[in-house]
Amino acid sequence: MPREWLSKLQRVVAGRRGLADDLHAEIDAHLEFEIQENIACGMPPDEARAAARRHVGNLTQIEERARDAWGFPSLETVAQDLRYGLRGLRRSPGFSLVVVLTLALGIGANTAIFSVVNAVLLRPLPYPAAERLVELGESDPKAEGISVTWVNYQHWRNENRSFEDMAGFHTAHVTLTGRGEPLPARAATVTSGFFGLTGAKPLLGRVFGDADDRPGAALTAVLSYRFWIDKLGADANILGAALTLNGQPYVVLGVLPPQFSFFQQPIDFYLPLHRMQGDIPDRGSHGSMRLLARLKPGVTLHAAVADLDLIMRRLAQSDPGPESLHRAHGVFLTEYTTGDIRPTLLILLAAVGLVLIVACANVASLVLARSTARAREIAIRAAIGAGRTRLIRQLLTENLLLAALGGFAGALLAQWGSRALIAAGPRDIPRLAEATFDWRVLLFAAAITMFTGLFTGMAPVFTAGRANLVSALKDSSRASTGRRGQRSRSALVVAQIALTLVLVFAAGLLLRNLIVAQTADPGFVPEHLLALELALPSSSYRSPEAIRNFYDRLRQDVRALPGVTGVGAVNCPPSVGDCGDWFYSVLDRPAPQPGEVPISLFNTADRDYFHTMRIPLRQGRAFTDRDPPRVAIVNETFARKWWPKGSAVGGRIKWGGPYRDGPVYEIIGVSGDVSQMGLGTEPLPEVYLPFSQSLSKAMVVMIRSGGDPQLLATAVRRRVAAIDRNLPIQSLRPFARTVAGSLAQRRFSTLLLALFAGLAMILAAVGIYGLLNYWVRVREDEIAIRMALGAPRPVILRWAGWQALRLSLIGVAIGMLGSWAASRFLGSLVSGVTESFATLAAAALAVIGIAAIAAAIPVWRATRVDAMDKLHRA
Amino acid sequence: MSTVDNPRERLEFLQGTLEVLILRSLQQGANHAYGISQFLEQQSGDEFAVDNGSLYPALQRLLQRTWIAAQWKMSPNGRRAKYYRLTPAGRKQLVAATSRWQRFVEAMGRVLAPEG
Repeated sequence: MPREWLSKLQRVVAGRRGLADDLHAEIDAHLEFEIQENIACGMPPDEARAAARRHVGNLTQIEERARDAWGFPSLETVAQDLRYGLRGLRRSPGFSLVVVLTLALGIGANTAIFSVVNAVLLRPLPYPAAERLVELGESDPKAEGISVTWVNYQHWRNENRSFEDMAGFHTAHVTLTGRGEPLPARAATVTSGFFGLTGAKPLLGRVFGDADDRPGAALTAVLSYRFWIDKLGADANILGAALTLNGQPYVVLGVLPPQFSFFQQPIDFYLPLHRMQGDIPDRGSHGSMRLLARLKPGVTLHAAVADLDLIMRRLAQSDPGPESLHRAHGVFLTEYTTGDIRPTLLILLAAVGLVLIVACANVASLVLARSTARAREIAIRAAIGAGRTRLIRQLLTENLLLAALGGFAGALLAQWGSRALIAAGPRDIPRLAEATFDWRVLLFAAAITMFTGLFTGMAPVFTAGRANLVSALKDSSRASTGRRGQRSRSALVVAQIALTLVLVFAAGLLLRNLIVAQTADPGFVPEHLLALELALPSSSYRSPEAIRNFYDRLRQDVRALPGVTGVGAVNCPPSVGDCGDWFYSVLDRPAPQPGEVPISLFNTADRDYFHTMRIPLRQGRAFTDRDPPRVAIVNETFARKWWPKGSAVGGRIKWGGPYRDGPVYEIIGVSGDVSQMGLGTEPLPEVYLPFSQSLSKAMVVMIRSGGDPQLLATAVRRRVAAIDRNLPIQSLRPFARTVAGSLAQRRFSTLLLALFAGLAMILAAVGIYGLLNYWVRVREDEIAIRMALGAPRPVILRWAGWQALRLSLIGVAIGMLGSWAASRFLGSLVSGVTESFATLAAAALAVIGIAAIAAAIPVWRATRVDAMDKLHRA
Repeated sequence: MSTVDNPRERLEFLQGTLEVLILRSLQQGANHAYGISQFLEQQSGDEFAVDNGSLYPALQRLLQRTWIAAQWKMSPNGRRAKYYRLTPAGRKQLVAATSRWQRFVEAMGRVLAPEG
């Protein structure tokens, strides 16, 4: 067999044309032999020719049959099947259009979502050996992912046996001056190993090496491509030039290529970490440095972390202190960058997969109905000699053809859809913009297209194989030949209803969760607030007085603006997340074990902050200008934890806990809780220190206005410039927008899920409509007889209505089981999602309602059958 | 339809036998398609009617299996014709097929032979 194929393939390569000519010549010669023979036997030439012709036979047929021996029969039948299939689809354009559109929707939605999943979760990070890159932090018995101290980093880097290399990094706000307007910029301070680990090769100049990144070296910077183009006008003489950052000159060493990125926020400069911070000898001194490291090949993350833990245990003996209980903590970089979005994408992928199944069920149902209608045609084909396998193949080819058309349309739809997803998606999804079509996405689209083709093709194949020749040819009753198909279609509709219920329920749960978060009391009044974010550069604000004077003057100047009713400043405003937490202990309480020291958020707020934000004070008082030294305000959660009954006012807390040095603060007030981590999140214990005693250069000044806060923006900007012309404004916008932004990702995923649920509902409605319509059509005779025998319309209505209701109820019952599973799945991925009977009931009612609407027209038609007309015609 | 063979009607080839017979005819030496059909008709005592519509496809199949090879040559009477010859693989196939056929014929004969 393989040898034959090889010969045939060689022939295909050589060309069939040659074969035909060769055969023609051969048969010609054959004919000539016979003619000569006949002449030799004494026939006259004309007669000899005619006799030879007769004897040789049909020349064309001989040639054709000989040539066919070189063909590929299976391939050629496929071509024939395709031709028949196309002809069949052209014959029923309505059917084809509905099927292709339905599949295009299903395949398109899936491919679009997959393109996002592919870009965000599957595509490897663009760094060398990215699968071995890990992010390292410290952990203690209560928390993971704490920053790494400089001393620990030195020990880890020098003493580990598991990593190829390690680099420290953190990000910081800097201000660029001396080039027109002062510009706020984001810098990444990194140790020199960072560039090797991320494989960043400079586009211009060079990146810094060990010699540039040590105390005493000249201050240097590497620019990002974007910053060089956008802010420096692609200055060709930038190498070696000095940029003034935070008041100090930095020599530009190089520019990175445009495609390089590592941090979630765009970075403008890379600065040498070790050069800038120097050596910090205290092993317990935490900053915000994290580590990037590459595992040696074959070393597991677990083993590598154990290796670092060993170093930490050794250090705990030789250098005991607050760090003694700290250990190493590591996650793969892929997980570190996509950890938050992963559950959302998995939910969406699962949901869109269900939509595809619902769409497939619709198509299968349509195909089934069509093949029942074609039972006669199929029976005729079988009668004139088409084999069963050939018939099945023909039907499958038709379905695959439909699926391929649907897949093609779906791919087009998906391209548009993924572009829409990128445009509408929240900014904080990493690598979302890279959601383009690569081979993986195309492979996925092709795979689900094949799946839909086979899935939708199976049902009619099943019935075609068993098509009863005789009964189909007799065509005695459409109903009798359609019974089996009818039952399969009913099952499909039940499945659709069940899946739709699961989707509607899931969307309902997320929606409820979102509404709860949105309507949750944030603990302050976000409306009419303008938030002015500032970060004073350390070069020009060195003394505490300078900082204090600046903010005092700003407060006074802004307060004097017309329309401003209050001004208060805070270091870490609500809903922006965690700006820093630290250990503490409560005096006069038993000291916690070393590993059990509690953690609280620490924040800095000025005198008028609580009043401006409308954060209520539950006990005690707010900060004043004449506070005694070392006072603090704690939030309700904090107070309830330690003083569940009495008053927290007068209580004393020690910063750093019992095992670290730190001041003791006296509580003078208890404020209401605010959602520090975003709307709808559980409040965490929080301690506010007064700005007057705990100065911070970076503050968010909250300005409450009587009307639209946006109207104040220009005036505020002018006031800031009047005080310090060189101070850049980090951001200035209505605070309500920031608060709403903290829900952007959830709103996005909920919207998509609701969209999918809606799509599934429409598809299910079409499915129910189609099935019942058919059910009524094949029973028109039966209905006419029943009516003629005296069945009143309500009986007919009940009979047809019961069909619809029965299917819906079975579907809903199965769907409820599925919903229970779905809510557990969702609950495991999204915090705050719980089973809700009310949501389930509402979803079930919605699905039954849709089913009722879809069924209404066919059922109504059943009662409108004209009995007399029908019976006359029969 | 008569169930007894008309002795005047010539025999049709059983499935697959034509190919063996072609191989056998080439054992004598290379020959062209017309020559092969002549040979088969003569050797079978005119019992076999060689249908060109079967002969040519059979030749193609044998070519594909590389049991025979073809070459254009001059015939003794000065005409160009396509000559087929046995390949070593074809020779081996002929030996195998012949012995299989003889076993088949013997078995058929034993079953069909009148008892006693």
